[in-house]
Formats: sequence, C-alpha cells, structure tokens
Amino acid sequence: MTDTILQTTDLGVSFSTESGTVDAVRGVSLSVAPGETLALVGESGSGKSTVALAAMGLLSGNATASGSAVVAGHEVVGATEPALRGLRGKTVSMVFQEPATALDPLTRVGEQIAEVIRNHRSVPAAAARSEAVELLGKVGIPDPSTRARAFPFELSGGQRQRVVIAMAIANNPALLIADEPTTALDVTVQAEILELLRALAVDSGTGVLLVTHNMGVVADFADRVAVMLQGEIVETGPVEDVLLRPQHEYTKRLLAAVPRLDTPESVAARDRAAAPVVQVVEETDGRLGSAPVVDLRDVSVTFGRGARAVHALSGIDIAVHAGETVGLVGESGSGKSTAARVALGLIKPTAGAVHLFGEDLRRTRGRDRRALRSGIGVVLQDPVASLDARMSVGECIAEPLAVHRRGMSTGERRKRVDGVLDAVRLPRALANRAPRELSGGQRQRVSLARALVLDPRLLVADEPTSALDVSVQEAVLEVLTELQGELGFACLFVSHDLAVVQHFAERVVVMRRGVIEEQGTTGTTLLHPTTDYTRRLLAAVPVPDPVLQRQRRAERLATLAAVES
Amino acid sequence: MTTVLYLTRRVLQALAVILIVTIVVFCLLHALPGGPARGVLGVSATPVQIAAFNQAQGLDQPLPVQYLRFLGRLLTGDLGTSYTLNEPVSQLIQERLPKTLVLTGLSAVLGLVVAIPIGMWQAARRNGAVDYTVTALAFVFYSTPAFFLGLVLIVVFSQQLPWLPSQAPSGNTLAEVFQDPAGLVLPVLTGALAMIAVFSRYMRASTLENLQEDYVRTARAGGSSTMTILRRHVFRNSLTPVVAMLGYYLPVLFGGALVTEQLFNYPGMGLLFWNAAQSSDYPTLLGCVLVISVATVIGTLLADVAQSLIDPRVKADRA
Amino acid sequence: MTTVQMAPEAPGAPVTVAATGFRLAARRFSHNTLAVIGLAVIVVIVLFCFVGPFLYPTDQTHTQLSQANLGPSAAHWLGTDAVGHDVLGRLMYGGKVSLMVGIAAGILATVVGTLWGSVAGYVGGWVDAVMMRIVDAGIAIPALFILLVISAITTPGVGGLIVILGLVSWLVPSRLIRAETLTLKNRDYVLTLRAIGGSHARAIGKHLLPNSVSTIVVAATFQVADAILLVAYVSYLGLGVQAPATDWGGMLSAGLTAAYSGRWWLIVPPGLAVILVVCAFNAVGDGLRDAFDVRGRG
Repeated sequence: MTDTILQTTDLGVSFSTESGTVDAVRGVSLSVAPGETLALVGESGSGKSTVALAAMGLLSGNATASGSAVVAGHEVVGATEPALRGLRGKTVSMVFQEPATALDPLTRVGEQIAEVIRNHRSVPAAAARSEAVELLGKVGIPDPSTRARAFPFELSGGQRQRVVIAMAIANNPALLIADEPTTALDVTVQAEILELLRALAVDSGTGVLLVTHNMGVVADFADRVAVMLQGEIVETGPVEDVLLRPQHEYTKRLLAAVPRLDTPESVAARDRAAAPVVQVVEETDGRLGSAPVVDLRDVSVTFGRGARAVHALSGIDIAVHAGETVGLVGESGSGKSTAARVALGLIKPTAGAVHLFGEDLRRTRGRDRRALRSGIGVVLQDPVASLDARMSVGECIAEPLAVHRRGMSTGERRKRVDGVLDAVRLPRALANRAPRELSGGQRQRVSLARALVLDPRLLVADEPTSALDVSVQEAVLEVLTELQGELGFACLFVSHDLAVVQHFAERVVVMRRGVIEEQGTTGTTLLHPTTDYTRRLLAAVPVPDPVLQRQRRAERLATLAAVES
Repeated sequence: MTTVLYLTRRVLQALAVILIVTIVVFCLLHALPGGPARGVLGVSATPVQIAAFNQAQGLDQPLPVQYLRFLGRLLTGDLGTSYTLNEPVSQLIQERLPKTLVLTGLSAVLGLVVAIPIGMWQAARRNGAVDYTVTALAFVFYSTPAFFLGLVLIVVFSQQLPWLPSQAPSGNTLAEVFQDPAGLVLPVLTGALAMIAVFSRYMRASTLENLQEDYVRTARAGGSSTMTILRRHVFRNSLTPVVAMLGYYLPVLFGGALVTEQLFNYPGMGLLFWNAAQSSDYPTLLGCVLVISVATVIGTLLADVAQSLIDPRVKADRA
Repeated sequence: MTTVQMAPEAPGAPVTVAATGFRLAARRFSHNTLAVIGLAVIVVIVLFCFVGPFLYPTDQTHTQLSQANLGPSAAHWLGTDAVGHDVLGRLMYGGKVSLMVGIAAGILATVVGTLWGSVAGYVGGWVDAVMMRIVDAGIAIPALFILLVISAITTPGVGGLIVILGLVSWLVPSRLIRAETLTLKNRDYVLTLRAIGGSHARAIGKHLLPNSVSTIVVAATFQVADAILLVAYVSYLGLGVQAPATDWGGMLSAGLTAAYSGRWWLIVPPGLAVILVVCAFNAVGDGLRDAFDVRGRG
C-alpha cells in the first residue's frame, strides 16, 4: 500500500447545480502502483473524469470531495490550494482530451512548457527554454528548436497533444493522469501518441491513470482496469481478466456492445474455433448492374484561390446503388464529410458531376431539384445541433412532410410521425416533448425518424453515432440495420470508425487527403487491403483483446521500423 | 496569410468605407434646403445668385457626374469655404483638429489605462462586493449624458470646491494648450469616465469568458498560480476583442468631444462644428463630418492592426 | 453612426440560446439583483410618467410668470421653471415624451438592424461584404455630428424624431444579428433542412429568426437605453420637441444656465431621471443577456 503513487479510499464527489445536488462519484477506491497503468473505463456520466480531476484537486467551485485520495504520500482531498499547486505539474500531471483548446493561443509553445518547468524549479529563463526544446524532441516533434517558437495554431492536433504531454512530463511526475488523451485524434495519430505515452511511462517508471471509454485503447495500453458505472466502480482487475473474462453484468454488456474490427488473425481464430459465424454482411457486387442512386463522377472541390487553395476533393468517383450501404472512411482532412455534403447537394463541386437518382444535379433547378431532394434522408453527427430546440420532437420529425407534402392533413401527419417513431423503437409520447429532454441516443434516433419520414431512397449519415456512448451506438446501429433490411434504402455512411463500417457496410471507400485510396467490398478491402495506407490505417486500430492487440502492436512496430530502414 | 496581405485587405476595406462616407456627405449636401448653392453661398443668397452658381458649378449635370466632381475636389483637399469665418474649411480644420485629437487621445488613454485593470480585477473577484459596486457605478456613468456629467464636474470641482478651472485652455496652438494643464483635467475626465464605464464592462466580460477556457485548466494543471495565469495568459487573450472594440468606440469619443468642447469652451473641431451648426455654416459642417469620419476609419484600422500584432491568428483568418 | 454610448455587448461572441427554456432564463434573471431592480425602476417610472399626472395634476401649457423660478415648496414639490411650470409635473409630462420616443426609436432601430443583419449574414458573399461596408461607414460617422447637421436643416416633429433616431442607431444591432445569423445558418438542423429541399424562406422563418429571438430582445433593450439617452441629447443639440411640449432633454437644456446660479431643481431632477431610466434599461438588458447565455455561469 505504501508504495502506491495513487491511492483513493472511498472517494466521493458531489456537485451543487441549479437543479439540486448531484453525486457524481461514490465510494471509489482504487490504486496505481509506480510504473503501472490503470485504465478507468466507463461511458458518459460514469464519473471517471471527475475522479481524475479530483486526484489533481482541479474540481470546479461547486464540487465537494469526500473520502481520501493520496498522491505519492500527499492527501489531495481537502488540501489547501498552495499545497495542491506544489503537486500539480511536479508530482502529478494531467493530459486533457481536447488539444485544440488546451494551449494558450497567444503564447509560443516553448514558453508554455518553460512555464511549467519554472513553476517548480528555480531555473533561469534561458535554461528553461532550452529544456523545453529538449522535451519537444523527447515527445517526437521534429525540428524542436524551431517548433518551440511556434504558436499552437501552427501545429496539428497530434502535435499539440505532444506539446501538452511535454508539459506534463517536464518535471518527471510520479503520476500521469490522461483523460481521454486520444479521443479527439485520428486513429493513426492515436496509435503514435499511445506509443509515446507508453514509452515515457516505461522509461521513467511513472504510474499512469488512463481515463477512457475506448476498450481498444485499454487493451493496448493498460495493465489493470477499473470499470465505472454511475459513479461507482463495478469491477477491477488485470486487463486480460476484465476484458476477456468479465465478471460483472455491466462489463459484459459494455464489451459486447463494442464493435470489433475483424482482422485476418481474428477471422482465422474464429475459423479455427470452428464456430460457424453468420456473415451478417452480404458480399455481392451484383448490384452494379442497376443504376446508382447517387453518383459522384470525377468530382473535385476546391476552397479558396491561388496559393492558399484547399483541395478538399480531387477527382473522386463514388457510386451508391439501390439497397446497398457504402461506408466512407478516412481520417481528418480526408474529404469524406465534404464528399457526403456534395452528395447532399450542400456543396457545389468545382468540377465533375453529381447524379442523384439518375438526374444530373447541374441540370435541374427549382421544383425539380426539390422533388429529387425529397428522396434523401439525412442524419448528421451532433445530437444537440441536429434538432431545433425550439420545436417539439414531433414537429422536427414532421418537417420534411411540411416541406414536400403540404397537402397532408394533420391527422395523416400525426399517423406518419407515430409510424416512424415506432420504427426507430421510440415511444410515441416522445412526439410532444422538447429535444432537450431527450438523451443523445434518443435524439439521434429522432434524427433518423425524421430522415425516414418521407420513405427515402437514399440515407446519408455523417458520423451518426460518433458522439454517442458505445452501448447507445449499438442500439442506434441495430435500428438502422433493421430498418434498412425492411425498407431497402441505399445508405452512404461516413465514419472514422473502421469497426463500425466493417459490420454495417457492404462496400467501403477509403479516402485520404481528398483522393480515394481504394474501394471495394468490406470483406475484401478491410481484411486484405491493397494499399499501404489502408494497411497502416487498419493496423493502427486497437482491438479490445489484449492478447491480440499485443500481437498487432508488435507487428505494426515491426512494419514501421522496416519502412524506416 | 502574411501581414502584408492582411494589411492590404484591411486598407482596401477602409478605403471602401471612406468612399461610402463621401457619398453620404454628398447626399447631405444635396438635402440642404436650397441645395448646395445655398450651402456654399449662404442662407441669404438670391435666386439669381443661386441660378448663376448652379450653372457655373455644373449643378445642372446629372448627379453621378456631380458626385465625381465633388470627389475630385475632395481629393485636392478643397472642402469649400466657411462663409461665417471666411476661411477655407480645410484650413480651419487643420488648426482645430489636433486639439480635438489631443483631448480625445488623452481621454482614450486614461480610459483604457484605468478600465482594463479594473475589468480584469472584477472578473477575478466576480460577484464580490467590489464587483457589484463597480458594476453599478459603471452603469451610472455610461447612462449619463456627457453634458450633464460635465456640468456636475464643473459644479463640484469648479464652483463648490474651487480646485479646477471650468474653462478649458483656449490657446490656438497645441503648445499654448499644454501650458494650462489644469484646464484640461475636467474635459478629459468627462470623456474618460464614460469610457472607463464601457471598457471595464468589456474587459470584465472578456476576462470572464477566457477564464472558462481550457488553456486556463491546462496551466493550473501545470501548477501555475492564478496571478501567473491572469498575467501571462488570460490578459492578452482578453485584450484582443477589447482592442477591436476600441475602433468602434472612437466615433462615440468624437461625438462626446463635440459636447465637451462646447461645454468647456475648448477651441477644437467640436466647437467649430457646434458654432457652424448654430450659424448654418454648411461647408464647415460637412467638411467636419467628412474629416471626423475619416479619422474614425483610420482609427479603426489602427486598432485592427494593433489587434493583429497582439494576436497572430488574426492574419491567418479568412474572416 | 454610433450612438452616444454603445450598447456594451461582450466583445466577440454573439448571444446564443441553447436549449434553455424561458422558465430557466426567467429564474436566472430573477437572481440578478441589479437587473430586477432595473425592471422595478422602469415600472415605477412608467407609472410615474403616465399615471402621475392624475395624482398630481399641473398645468403644463400655460405660462404663469408670477410663479416663475420658485424653489421647492409644499405647493410645488420641485419648484417651478423660468415660465412658471411646475417642475415635478413637467418631469412627468416630459418623461412621457422621452420614454415614448426612446422606446419607439429603439424598437425601430432593432427592427431595421435585424432585417439588414440577417439578410447580410444569410446571403453572404459580396452582398454581405457590401452591406457591411455600408454599416461600417454608418458607424464611422458619429451620431451626434449627424444629428447636429440635421438640426441645422430642419426641425422634425415627434414622428420625424423617432425616424431620425432610429436611422442613426440601427447599425450596431445589425452587426449583432449578422453574427448570430452566421452562427445559426451552419447549424446541423438548418443544413439538414436545406439538404432535403427546404427553401431559404423556411430556413429563415422557421429556424433562424425564432432562434435569434433572445439576441434580438437583448439588442432591443440596449437600443431603447441608447435611444432614451440620445433623446436627452437632441434637445441639447436643438432638435428637440417644440414648446410648450418638452422632454427630459429639453428640461436639461433649458435648465443648464440655471445650474450655475444655484437653481438646482431645474436640472438635477431631469438629469437623474434620464440616468435612472437608461441605467435601468441597461441593467435589464445585461440581466437578459446573462439569463439567456449558457456560458459564463458558475
């Protein structure tokens, strides 16, 4: 016990809000040993981030902590601010989720690192600055002495996160807390950052408290796992035990809901187990005979002019046929969202043609164009912004009817709304509520209902479940699959999550920097990719099986090393 | 985007704005009873004189042509002649403008120097007794008409407590103005008090917003104290939007100068303008409007440049 | 033209309404002491000006020189002015004009500004650029200068005054509403509507405007505050209503010379009245803005 660097005993945190007191954390007892990584897992509202903030004494003003949290021998709960200040950045540091806003936009990154150094050691400014440069090199920023003078907006998301990590390790902390450190990053960047964190922890014997909702990251990085549900810990144990042989109901449910990427190894293992797996996904190319529902031909989209022009799309060809689901995958900047918006007619291509239901969008105007559009359903990413807070749920769903079926009577409209609410498995009474009374998952299903109310032939979904918890995501995707089977609409599904796409789409299009890297049936492309980029992308996705993940990591590192030499 | 590109774009925008201002002034010129002829010749011009003038000036030409000639005259610096003072308007303005600039400049500097720290301090000690008091005072001061405020200041500091003169320095040159600094105190204070009220609110709001930002949490996680965070991070970030606001406040300052100069009898452009209004001296009126508006546009441009110096992201933005 | 004191909106971010119901906003508002006091002050003063004359009737049209320049007494609670009018009564009488003109002008400015700003923000492109350059030009010309020029040309009636003040003040709200429109038009629910074939009219009418209501209301409150302050200036500038009608600005103007000779009752009451009402509207506007704004709490 005495050599743990973090020990919480019966830790509790409650917040006093406008609507009363909320107990976010109750009776949490956990420990982190030096050199060990403990993953704190849970969905939104589980309280995991609150535990992390409590360990740093960074809880907001309206929070009260009870119980005990001892960091390297110092009690944090109830400690004075000067005492806490002495710990923060020196004995315990934190890496936060959102690199875009984590740094002061008006100070050079080297200065920000130097500040952390000088907070705890009396080091002359020049020495602190050169130490900052060293740290930048240590976290893998190329050309650190020049980059130290850069402003945050001149760096990419991954690079900014590296700077935050540099700030966190500047004074060799005994405990490093990472709160969703890679959630906002692309999957390849995520793999690099995790690699960096692991290397740093191993090098200096730092204990790591990793807060995350991503089971793949847990399998990749953690030694032990603690699962949280609604403020309490429901299961703890070594990572292989918890992830491969979960005991608690909730853990089992959580793991079952995680979409798992099929890799050649996992497929082989399944085959060896001789359990016949029902192929959920049909792998036919036969539909190519029929005319595509939406067809982007040689489409380019350029924003801006001259030297500063951004080529979001360069000559891409995407076609979606009736009844099939095409997954559009890629990292940030790949152009996948731009492509979806071109298909929706929200962005006009700078070059190339878009055919919707067989008609060239350039040649249709006014009423004809609107009639075409009535065959589309749209589901976008943000559950909060997708519904107008000023309208009731029923009004939101009925809006496409108001646009295209003016003649419908109120009764008919009501019936239709009830019908789609049933289809997305939501209670009919929800129609009279306001969107803010609904959860994120419910809101996305309302969005889906709205998309279906006109019996669309094409559904365009741009990251529809990315903002949702894993269990909620499972429910929404289930509904979507079922409805597609029933109603037979085509679907263009944009996502950064390869596992989701693999299980949901028949064909996949892999994009990178505005160009299509490769496309093909999901079974072939995602299991046996033909381009290096796709291979790298797949290799970077962590799977929630620690044993398998260790193998994958080793392979991935070997490949990277081979490429470098 | 480089600095040069950004500056060029801003300068072009400013020129467009100035052009529109000249159009407005031109329209006003033609809205005068009796038309521009009256404006130039005076209220007592006879119809014969007006007709002769109109023909000589080409006022029978279509409006766009007249506007171009008007623009041409402006570009050569010809703002017409004041008929009450019988001097070229441009010369009058040249004499008076620097004094107004001194008055408003001093008010602005005093206003900013006091408002910015107060606003930041209020944000750091939000909802305390001092915050409420300063907020209430700020409300009072920017709800007070400038002439009333000036009057109160005069009554209190000149009449009841004979500390300061009630008249501003009346010298003709800047040097003479500065020889009587006591006389400048009340006029500058009148403008500064309102500005302090407004800008302390801006700074307070801006600082409060910035205190919620993620980078403050990152700095705290690194062990930085609240003072350090305020000084090194929050201050500069909060300052940028406030500097931008300065450009929009300039017209308010100049408008205030109009009233203040009249109240304290300070021979600047405001007083010139006031007297011109009393005597319907249209050329002077319109010339002053033009010049003061151009001054405002230039001031806003400078404020934007200052903002881009503090905040390097401004140059990279496309807005 | 920028008006006398600019509505002190927070620099940068426009006000947005998240899904806070009006009930929640009302509760927040009621916790803001200054705002609640402001609201109470407005109610009291409106009653004072419109109901007061029935409780304290005075003659505001005929001059009574025998009663001129008397100090406060039991017969005349705030004394009399240079032509014998009771000052307290005149305060009520003038207050009606100041309030009506101020409120009407403030609302007019907000309406014009909303139309201009929402069109500019929604259409975007060069139309937006041109419209905003016009707004910039308008802001560059100080309002008081324009008002003084107009006073040299004409003497408007009450209706004309409202129009002039409105035309001088619509610029700042237009910028606010434009910023709000820019934010809203890229919201997912608007994009979804456009993607399935909804018209621009529907997007603006059903989504943008209702969601801008809180910004508009806050802007209107500040505009009314500004307008009432401007009304106080216009008489000083010679644009005010003609005798025997008056407003607070007129009373201030007429009483200025008296201030130096110690007849404080001619100038302090109208001055305080203006300050109080403008302050109150500003406090209410501030309170409304905080009540609707989701950020900046706690």
